[in-house]
Amino acid sequence: MKRVYSILAFLILGLALVAAGCGSKKDEKPAAAGGDKPKEVVLGYTGPLSGPAAEYGQDCFNGLEMAVNDINNAGGFTVGGKKHVFKLEKLDDMADPTNAVNNARRFLNQYKSKVIFNPVFTTTAPMMQINQEKGNEFLIMAYTSTPKAVQMNNSLVVAVPPPFTTYVHALADMAVSQGWKNIAMVVTLGAYGDEWRKAFKEHWESKGGKITADRPANYYTETNFSTQLTAVLATKPDALLIGGPSAPTGLVIEQARGLGFKGGFILVDQAKMEYIDKVVLKGITLMENTMGVAATTQTPLAGSVAFTKKYNDLHKKVATSEVTLNYCSVHALARAMEAAGTVEDPVAIRAAFPKAFPMLGDKFPAEYFGINDKGRMMVMPSVQLIKDGKYSPTVFYAYWPKNEEEFNKVKTETKMTGGTIKYLRVTE
Amino acid sequence: MDLFFQQIFNGIMMGSTYAVVALGLTLVYGILHIPNFAHGHLYMLGAYVSFFAITSHGLGFWAAMAVSVAVLALLGIVVERVVYRPLKDQPHINSFISAIGALMILETWVIVTWGPQAQRIPNPYPGAVELLGITMTQQRLLLIVSAMVLIILLQIFIKKTTPGTAIEAVAQNREGAMLVGINVDRIFSLTFAISTGTAAIAATLVAPIFMISPAMGALLGMKAFVIVILGGLGSIPGAIVGGYFLGIVEALGGGYISADYKDVIAFGALLLILAVKPNGLFGKEVA
Amino acid sequence: MAVKFIREKWFYLLLLAVSLALPLVITDRYIFQIIIMSMVFSIATLSMNLILGYTGQASLAHAGFFAIGAYGLGIMTKAGLSFWLALPAASLLSALVGFIIGLPTLRTRGSYFAIVTLCFGVIVYIVIGNLVEITGGQTGLLGIPLPQLGGLVFNTHKSQYYLVLAFLLLTLFVMHRLVYSLLGLGFMSVRNNEALAESLGINTFATKIISFMTANFFAGMAGGIYASLMGSISPSVASFSHTFFWLVYLMLGGVATLAGPIIGAFAIPVLMEYLQFLQEYRLIIFGALLIIIIMYFPRGLMGGINSLRDKLSKAYKLRKTGGKDGITANK
Repeated sequence: MKRVYSILAFLILGLALVAAGCGSKKDEKPAAAGGDKPKEVVLGYTGPLSGPAAEYGQDCFNGLEMAVNDINNAGGFTVGGKKHVFKLEKLDDMADPTNAVNNARRFLNQYKSKVIFNPVFTTTAPMMQINQEKGNEFLIMAYTSTPKAVQMNNSLVVAVPPPFTTYVHALADMAVSQGWKNIAMVVTLGAYGDEWRKAFKEHWESKGGKITADRPANYYTETNFSTQLTAVLATKPDALLIGGPSAPTGLVIEQARGLGFKGGFILVDQAKMEYIDKVVLKGITLMENTMGVAATTQTPLAGSVAFTKKYNDLHKKVATSEVTLNYCSVHALARAMEAAGTVEDPVAIRAAFPKAFPMLGDKFPAEYFGINDKGRMMVMPSVQLIKDGKYSPTVFYAYWPKNEEEFNKVKTETKMTGGTIKYLRVTE
Repeated sequence: MDLFFQQIFNGIMMGSTYAVVALGLTLVYGILHIPNFAHGHLYMLGAYVSFFAITSHGLGFWAAMAVSVAVLALLGIVVERVVYRPLKDQPHINSFISAIGALMILETWVIVTWGPQAQRIPNPYPGAVELLGITMTQQRLLLIVSAMVLIILLQIFIKKTTPGTAIEAVAQNREGAMLVGINVDRIFSLTFAISTGTAAIAATLVAPIFMISPAMGALLGMKAFVIVILGGLGSIPGAIVGGYFLGIVEALGGGYISADYKDVIAFGALLLILAVKPNGLFGKEVA
Repeated sequence: MAVKFIREKWFYLLLLAVSLALPLVITDRYIFQIIIMSMVFSIATLSMNLILGYTGQASLAHAGFFAIGAYGLGIMTKAGLSFWLALPAASLLSALVGFIIGLPTLRTRGSYFAIVTLCFGVIVYIVIGNLVEITGGQTGLLGIPLPQLGGLVFNTHKSQYYLVLAFLLLTLFVMHRLVYSLLGLGFMSVRNNEALAESLGINTFATKIISFMTANFFAGMAGGIYASLMGSISPSVASFSHTFFWLVYLMLGGVATLAGPIIGAFAIPVLMEYLQFLQEYRLIIFGALLIIIIMYFPRGLMGGINSLRDKLSKAYKLRKTGGKDGITANK
């Protein structure tokens, strides 16, 4: 029996060590500011900062960081007559659920943050399991486009991007206008890709179109797509629905062209045209007849033009919509805190969110018109087509208005300086 | 029928990579009995060295390949010395664990240095060729031809040159080789250098067609092990035939049956075959 | 008897009491989160130790079996089965799959076995990701209920802590009984020399199968507990980086010891939480640790401690006997 006891000894010594160690760190909480110094509000960000999704995680973080700096440099925001500034802390979770929950607990208990940002649904989901515990509530700002995020009836979640289903409808609409009928799919494997394929297939077939082939590929681990492409191109499609992370998506375009494909491409919303153009293919020659999420560099909003330039100067990178939308989300949060009159109570902050809007394109790089009662912030998905060697004007789709009247209100509010705006109702 | 031939072509192209990588692995695993589980990661590093040479130093494609081969050969020698030699007389499994340590280091090193995102080597031969109804790019053809040349050269080296026959001698009887005056340690270094050097060639040839990423070697390394085991440990023809065979089977399986389960083919085959023949198809015993 | 027991074991009883009282002293949920997850991974590492450490078969499919347990429990509890039925069922499922896979693979040896099991782990990962109707594909299973006992829902950290502590002690108890039984000696004789064990009349194949199944039973159990506490799982639970991490825990803590896996499973995650700024480099550190340990400290931390203790007690005895054997003591 001696061994069992010695094991027990080590087990408990370990526990004690953890306890002692972690306990001592507790004092590290942000110094409460006295006098007229603005009070610091700590925001937490947990996301993939290493591993295969690190670039995505870093882009999201960059957007948040820029917003925090902009807000603080402008003197902060006012809650209860007192100036407040944000402090943004980041922890890496490598997109692993265990790490994400650890990080959330750490933010909550040691950094005393009440708001946590996360950009990956498979890590948001377990956090949603714990964010409503009595006395330990925190608000999740989720950068996730899956409708599942707002269908889980969690009252402390704010979803930042538009649901991807709106892109399904918008791109299908645009594809019809190009006269495409037969579409083959080579979309990324993964939670997001699975949902995209399913939603697109249903919608496209309901519009009378035809899916000629469906061969998903793992965009995260593979770079040779010729097997799938050869198989789907044999069905003679008008266009291919492709996409996953931008870099391999560019490769798919190149390889499909290499196999002699002359038709169009529809990119799922994860793939960014401006990135493929500028970084992967160095030009849009191969991208003729490609449609996808509108390039942020082309967005007809004064705020967007200024923002993308500033971002590019700072990071020497293209500001994709991950950057711009995350940027806006921090501003929305600050406005919600001002309206709620508290920086401490997640329930009140969430309740005050509707008062944060509208946020329009004269000041912001994207336009937010409101938040629905499930927690989805409402921004118009915008899509674009590359035709005749150049980007055609952006098309915005207002998906939430219940009737023409509400749609007209959006039309009068917007600060768009170009492009077109269409009404296409989609519910999550 | 066009579709079928196009898939066969795709298969031969992937198979060329598999064959070269498996060939390198069978030298160290089959002949030296070192389960170099980091082989796929060394292949990955080969692609990055070429990438670095081209983008940072403006080297041409072939010059970059030469640099990559030299660096990787050297690294191969270092890895053998540091990671495997101290464990020479211990059970295989210790080397295997040590290899897992090595591959963690290699992959993270690349991520820290070049970032986790995929990178591109500009394609030196982007033109397309139409042949018998199959469309192929020049770079793909180049990969296939170069792989064949490389395989033939290696065969000649091992069968016809003195160092090559020394490797065979060590493989057949280590003590005997020592008795006739062969420096076994040096042969180990040489074999490792050849193994990693050829992996660097394969990686550089593939890089312009695809992208390079820190994860590109992991699955490939595992598949190379499968090929080596199924093709017969230490059997050079086995590795070559197995490599091409797996490439073609994957292309056809992925094209006609299910792309989702394409990667299962190799691993499933290994499970099934070992169920019947625990020592592999050509049954050499490993301890 | 009872008095003697207390007098000899007071230290361990004290520690047990401390561990039971721990939640009364510490209230920080973040610390508990780490402790609880470390305990879950301790169970997984302990089970890996059985097949790898005691039986000498490097099974690298461990995350795969962990995932089978996790998904098994998730699917069953979502269908309405109670946690207390689903957990053993999921663990048994994991053991059963282990049996089926073990039949062909355990006939292979050494690095063949490592590679084949690694391949099986990859297959599990791919299959889970593609069986969308059953496993939810890459999105995974969401909304797995927390364990319940009567009216008590395990939704507080204290209750979760005691729950996992109970399972960890159960695992330890079983491992201890197993390792110090005749069967356990069989495991070790297979590890030390399979041919010799065979010639001594041990059915080595059956021995390996039993060890493999038991290991996978507990791996599946760890997975099941993990799934119910996390509430949602995705195919990443089967990723071989999990297996590699447990391997590092095991090698560092001390292979073929009972305390080693627990020490490893606690020490490294705690270290990593503190060294968040080193996050990028952590696999380099893990990798280097693994190589150094396998070369210079193949028995890990516990092995080191044990041999040190042996030396000390030997020296102590020698001093008592007048140091006649001083030369060997100095060795």
